[in-house]
Amino acid sequence: MHMSRRTLTRRPTLKTSLQHQLLRTRRRRDRRRGRLKPRVKDGMPRPLWPEPRTMVESRAGAAKTPPSPPSPMIIALTRLGFGPSPQAMADFQALGATDAQRYQAYINQQLAPSTIDDSAAVTRLAACGFQTLGKTVPQLWADHFLAEEWDDIMQPLWESVGATWVRAIHSKRQLFELMVDFWHNHFNVFADDVPFGPVWVHTDRDAIRAHALGNFRQMVEAVTRTPAMLFYLDNVFNSQEDANENFARELLELHVMGADSYLGSVDPATVPTDGNGVPVGYTEADVIEVARCLTGWTVNSQWAHWEFGETGEFFFHEDWHDTGAKRVIGLDLPAGRTAAQDGQAMLDWVCAHPATARFVATKICRRVMADNPPQAVIDAAAATFLAQVDAPDQIAQVLRTILEHPSFLQTWGDKVKRPFEIAVSMFRGATFDLPFSLGDEFSGWFLWEYYQTGQPLFSWHPPNGYPDSKFAWNTTSPRVMTWRLANLLVTMWSEDAESGFIFDLAGRTPTGVRSANQIVDHWSLEILGRPLPPGERGPLVSFMAQDAHPDTPLEIGNYDAHWETHERLHALVALILMCPSFLWK
Amino acid sequence: MKTTRRGFLVGCSAAVASYAGSAFNTVAFGDPNANQEILVVIFLRGGIDGLSLIPPIAGADRGHYEAARPNLRIPTSGAGAALPLNAQFGIHPSAAPLRELFQSNKLSIVHGVGMSTVINKSHFDAMQFVELGTPGSKSMTTGWLTRHLQTASNLPASMVMPSLAVGDLQPVSLAGSGETVNMQDPESFNVANGPWHWRSQQKATLRSLYESDNSWLHAGGVQAMNAVDIVEGAVTDPYLPSNGAVYPDTPFAQQLKVLAQMIKLNLGLQVATIDFGGWDTHESQGNNGAEGYFSTQIGDLAAGLMAFYTDLDGAGADNYTDRLTVVTQSEFGREVHENNDEGTEHGYGNNLLVLSGNATGGFHGQWPGLAPGQLVDGTDVAVTTDFRQVISEILIRRMCNPSLETIFPGYSGYTPLGVVQGADIQPAAIFADGFEGGTLGAWSSST
Repeated sequence: MHMSRRTLTRRPTLKTSLQHQLLRTRRRRDRRRGRLKPRVKDGMPRPLWPEPRTMVESRAGAAKTPPSPPSPMIIALTRLGFGPSPQAMADFQALGATDAQRYQAYINQQLAPSTIDDSAAVTRLAACGFQTLGKTVPQLWADHFLAEEWDDIMQPLWESVGATWVRAIHSKRQLFELMVDFWHNHFNVFADDVPFGPVWVHTDRDAIRAHALGNFRQMVEAVTRTPAMLFYLDNVFNSQEDANENFARELLELHVMGADSYLGSVDPATVPTDGNGVPVGYTEADVIEVARCLTGWTVNSQWAHWEFGETGEFFFHEDWHDTGAKRVIGLDLPAGRTAAQDGQAMLDWVCAHPATARFVATKICRRVMADNPPQAVIDAAAATFLAQVDAPDQIAQVLRTILEHPSFLQTWGDKVKRPFEIAVSMFRGATFDLPFSLGDEFSGWFLWEYYQTGQPLFSWHPPNGYPDSKFAWNTTSPRVMTWRLANLLVTMWSEDAESGFIFDLAGRTPTGVRSANQIVDHWSLEILGRPLPPGERGPLVSFMAQDAHPDTPLEIGNYDAHWETHERLHALVALILMCPSFLWK
Repeated sequence: MKTTRRGFLVGCSAAVASYAGSAFNTVAFGDPNANQEILVVIFLRGGIDGLSLIPPIAGADRGHYEAARPNLRIPTSGAGAALPLNAQFGIHPSAAPLRELFQSNKLSIVHGVGMSTVINKSHFDAMQFVELGTPGSKSMTTGWLTRHLQTASNLPASMVMPSLAVGDLQPVSLAGSGETVNMQDPESFNVANGPWHWRSQQKATLRSLYESDNSWLHAGGVQAMNAVDIVEGAVTDPYLPSNGAVYPDTPFAQQLKVLAQMIKLNLGLQVATIDFGGWDTHESQGNNGAEGYFSTQIGDLAAGLMAFYTDLDGAGADNYTDRLTVVTQSEFGREVHENNDEGTEHGYGNNLLVLSGNATGGFHGQWPGLAPGQLVDGTDVAVTTDFRQVISEILIRRMCNPSLETIFPGYSGYTPLGVVQGADIQPAAIFADGFEGGTLGAWSSST
């Protein structure tokens, strides 16, 4: 009896797994349609992990031997995307004659994603049969926000989740997809609720993806205008009469200047200025002034106000705008201006503030380079950010500064993959694929397990985004729960599949590769793109060989005749997807 | 003292391996004189509105309260009235179980708690200050619970799992704690979902992969394997709560249930944390009626704590409450005046609850008052008790750890409030314990 098949009893679909998660983590709150005022929370704040630079290695016997940097190809595919795949490695190798040439050509391509032919990923996404990804805000609002059935209401979110997986796994525009993930965290919204889920397509497509390598100032305004963000942080209710500073506070603290620039309840007149006369930080009074600038930035929905219409679109409601004179972090705004004028002048000002350049540059460096990025790289990236503040490709230029810095390829091993990166790189490394279409049982089953890793997509409650630090992710629960994903993928089984396993690893092992040594080397090279260190290779060879000599050929071809060896191969590939070398960044 | 810390079995795979094969429930802790107290810290993230949990029900402050909260006030009579705790204060009607615990002197309530030295209305700053134990500074590399574990000198000789964070991520209060296990659900906390025939050998191989080097990544993997061994070895049957305890089907209560289960395994648990979020009620707070949002949250909190306490409150060897202390705290309170959206904005002082078999019960600390002149910046409840004072008392009287200078550097002037019972020890810095020269970082390689 093939016991591995016994585990495959419960197969939730993509939809039911998300519903399950919803029910599991939060009780459904009262969502009666008749209510004019929704309960909108800015979620459940969770700890913002201390800046990694202030932390020390925590485990007993602190890092003795950080691994030396692998090849530029591995660094580029691992840190500027979601991990190597055999195809991506072949494509990289074709880019030039030397490592330096190939790396430079690769980042040139990745920083200009429209020049990369991504038709295969587009075709792959089309196969999902998603129906909402092209809808306008009024369409999303009418078809989904106002729908009766929960499946219909949340369909845009579920399709966005599926599309995110498909793109992360299949797109050749890997850096673009990585930055999409970065900005979704930077401008975090907990999307698994109303009204966020029904309009999530809009946030993802028009605010995040439209600007992921573009201009930061434009992206901030695009995000600020999304119904999801406006509801999430209450700015829909922000009016002269009923000021609501929630969004303004998080805008300053999390989107632009950063918490290090928050000076608390001090007199703004006492804040020191830099060489250009700009205050070096912001005060409690500045939070209120920023909120005043954004009065009247709201959404045409009766959830925002009972006198509004119900299209879900952003609009400037001038009746709500506070037209008095304002002073925002040293910038005087005269009285009598419109909501658009005040808000946009404020955004121009804060997005060009040196603190914003430092804050955003630091976070990008931390994402693509190391938990403790070298200060010289941060400084260079911040300088580019300021010098190119009006450039349409400002973010790409900031990235170029980082990626072309001499330390970039010298840095390795100060970062661990987060669960989303781990999971996506399993698919890429082992060339697994799942449909990720709604209703597909294998995709749903996978996401069900994935949600236990601590990083479900678009589901971090507070506005600060998932932590980006080894101290959050190199802990027991994320580690065990991501290990389980590897075992899940290699044991997925279907009566329709020839060998039983939907991912036929024996069939994909070349006929000349049969000894334990050969099998381990083949699959580790396939998945990791580089040989394993001896300390990891040894136990894997022993496991695969069992009683045989590691050079003795093993029978793995026919499942029924050799099911023990066959299953051992599957367990081996899972082990490669669980090993330390798979996790380093 | 260092030897007791080395006694943490998690991180020592051979010991765990041998231990995992033994019968967990028969483990005798080494030194019968060792401290076997369990400290549970529940962080109510978002800033709970303490004035809706423990409203004034009489006197001048009732008038100030009603004036500040025309819509959100908890009434004193009729439907949804506050349940009186004493002549001056009541408790939210959804928190009836907490009143029961209060009336049996198992629940102490401290007024006006917060960071006495810092006013900061950012959730993320304030949480870090509280969890690092250093208001105003984020430079510490370890959380205050970690430093407690590092300095406790009287721990049992062998502890399999000294600290547990129930949830999918580890909180900042346990930052830098390499021995902490974090876990959401013991039933799925394993790697036994691979090809069936090779499960045990695959697991052994996985351990070898992570024991092949000693980087932070490898150490984390070994720690995860150790935790899997412990939990797999210990958790065999579906957990049945004791003493008729009924855990509600809410995430918070289910996490408490996991914690109770782990406590009863006698793994030497000293410190545990649980996060309970959703308290940032800027809009449509829902104080009134059983269906209101805040009412529901409070109901979850109270019912969960009651189930947890009941479950652990058995007789004889099944009594755990006599060595249990539970603290619930938030990063800050909320403004006294409700806003125009039937919610409340970020405030300052707040109440803090201590639930323990050794609680003294009743109210503690100075009530700051709600008269306009008593408010901070005209809007906020004042802080009359620094949170570190309450925690310090628990550390000294229950955990027998007087190392306040290490756990809360910069904090001075500690005196007990009398929140819990226990012997007083002179607060001390433990310079003989490897922390000479003020080195307060995470464990060095010598540990």
